[in-house]
Amino acid sequence: MVIDLRRCIGCHTCEVACKMENRVPLGVWPAWVKQIEKGSYPNVRKSFLPILCDHCDHPICVTVCPTNASFKRKDGIVMIDPHICIGCRYCMAACPYAVRYVHPIQKIVQKCSFCSHRVDAGLKPACVEACATGARVFGNLLDPREEVTILKNTHPVQTIKPESGTQPNIYYIGLDKDAVSSTGKGER
Amino acid sequence: MIDILYNAEHQEALGMLIAIYFYLTGISAGSFILSTLAYVFGQAKYKPIGKIAVILATIVLIIAPMALLIHVGRPFRAWRLFYNINFTSPISWGSFLLTLYPINCILYGYYIFKNNARMTKLFGTIGIPLAISVHGYCGFILGFAKARHLWNTALMPILFLVSAIVSGIALVIFVVYIKDKFFSQERKVNEELIFDLAKLMGGFLLLDLFLVLSDVLILLTGNEEAIKAGWLLLTGKYAIPFLGIENGLGKILPAILIFSKKLRTTNRLVWASFLVMLGIFFMRFIVVFAGEFYPLI
Repeated sequence: MVIDLRRCIGCHTCEVACKMENRVPLGVWPAWVKQIEKGSYPNVRKSFLPILCDHCDHPICVTVCPTNASFKRKDGIVMIDPHICIGCRYCMAACPYAVRYVHPIQKIVQKCSFCSHRVDAGLKPACVEACATGARVFGNLLDPREEVTILKNTHPVQTIKPESGTQPNIYYIGLDKDAVSSTGKGER
Repeated sequence: MIDILYNAEHQEALGMLIAIYFYLTGISAGSFILSTLAYVFGQAKYKPIGKIAVILATIVLIIAPMALLIHVGRPFRAWRLFYNINFTSPISWGSFLLTLYPINCILYGYYIFKNNARMTKLFGTIGIPLAISVHGYCGFILGFAKARHLWNTALMPILFLVSAIVSGIALVIFVVYIKDKFFSQERKVNEELIFDLAKLMGGFLLLDLFLVLSDVLILLTGNEEAIKAGWLLLTGKYAIPFLGIENGLGKILPAILIFSKKLRTTNRLVWASFLVMLGIFFMRFIVVFAGEFYPLI
């Protein structure tokens, strides 16, 4: 997936669409939009960062899952089998992107699945379908004719935390370093 | 100036129960290794504590996995750990170690009380690598969690092992003293034995201090997140527990009490071992909680 942050207006539609499509309980979010405020009046600006599971090529959550409940599908989607997960939360400790949460009712770990049920039916994920400005582009990154591949190959793109060696698959155009870092919370 | 206006923060991954679990397995592994000094390595002077140490090791290790079962969301699915095995996951290794090690402890203890020297030596020898790996894997659990720079270090398993031995010896000193003082026939404490154990503990305390020092120094020269984690321990919210309780009260003060000839008395050594147990508990607590203190995104 490519997310064009030049188009993102921070409307949180993707967040809401995701919660509706996947019946996510209150208090947890598989995908959300982080908002930060930079500078001080009058030179101030907001910056947005839509966050969702990166469906990494080398997912640490799959490496450490003790029951193989977290697995990577052949098409690259990282998923959790809800019948096998014992809720030990080790994947949450290992994930550098903090996109996993404990399902408050089922007591297992859940996360974004790229709406695999929709992808299997030939549809796009709910957040992509709902995005008001077309900032989110979804497709097969291995197919050179897809819009997502052309965008990724012809624009300056960046991923979140490339240094963690997980090779994430969400590419951002115009990623703001201040939006990625966790400074602003806690001292130093 | 940067202000975070909106961000989703989810439940923390590891909590108090995991800290307690690390503490208990550490004590168990430490006191098991101590008991093998007499029965496997043939050091006769440690024979009086062999039985106490193995009983403590077994009891503590039967309690420890309960903390894990309370921690996981679906404890009745724990059998999946033995059925859906992932060889790259430390928890998968641990589920087998946590089954084999208590069984071995019980057999070893049984033969000690039966005075069967040959079988005791056999199960003691099997038990040493098991005890080391049952606590070493705890270090690998945190070491594999690459999201957190406080955890993702090669020192973590060895740091865990050394603090395990320290806390195991401390508990044995404490329990031996209480048993001799209040529950034995003569009500007399074997001072020489406590001095010997304390000296052993002192040596491991110094090694532990060195490992903690090198861990923190290398954190402070790491990348941005690592530097943040290092200063969180030295000047941030965890400065008093880390510098004051874990290292000051729990390591430096006991080491002074053990190695200074003027200050050394049996009572003080028992207090020192109590402080060491407190300090190691704070070490587990700080490692788990300070590691998760900062949000990741």
